[in-house]
Amino acid sequence: MSAEETLAPADGLAAVAALRRLADRLEDSAVERALRAGWSRPQVAEALAVTRQAIHKKHAGRLAAAGVQPRRR
Amino acid sequence: MTQGEHEARQDHSATIEAHHLLLAIADHQGATAGRLLSEVGLDRSGVRAALDREFEHSLTAAGVSAAFHLPPAGRRPKPPGIGASAKLALERAFTAVRKKDVDSAHLLAGILRARVGTVPRALALAGVDREALLTRTQTA
Repeated sequence: MSAEETLAPADGLAAVAALRRLADRLEDSAVERALRAGWSRPQVAEALAVTRQAIHKKHAGRLAAAGVQPRRR
Repeated sequence: MTQGEHEARQDHSATIEAHHLLLAIADHQGATAGRLLSEVGLDRSGVRAALDREFEHSLTAAGVSAAFHLPPAGRRPKPPGIGASAKLALERAFTAVRKKDVDSAHLLAGILRARVGTVPRALALAGVDREALLTRTQTA
């Protein structure tokens, strides 16, 4: 039996909201670690199955502030 | 709002949500709204604990544990925008009074009017009667 079948609507919706928050935090952390470990931005984008533009839009400012230098291809 | 923005940044959130405003209000025990929260046992750390509990509770419902260690990421340099839940709370606060007259008690009432979402769930888990607190906020 899947979790979705047994969850009350309020719990199901709250679980989605909580998972989104968790995924956002995990993404911030994982992207930063990958770049610090020498991954290029296109590689990070491909691993996340998103476009390079999406990575740039979401993380460029934060990473520059955190002192992570973009590695040129 | 400035404090809410600070809370959102601390939370690594791209948006200011209603629960960030609630944390900011709870941090100001000198104001009426902060005092009302402290009367039901919610200072800033009490609100934080209730929110953390709601987060874990909701994840557990989906079979996910948040217990693993998440290495800290850099803070977002851009100011967070207003999220959907904070927008609703502000709209609900503004329905009662003119814009320039909104104080922290009105804002708290606006937050407490939400029947669904993170804040009411966190309050329920903390054993706080949301309706009763809302009534006290409106008569304060």
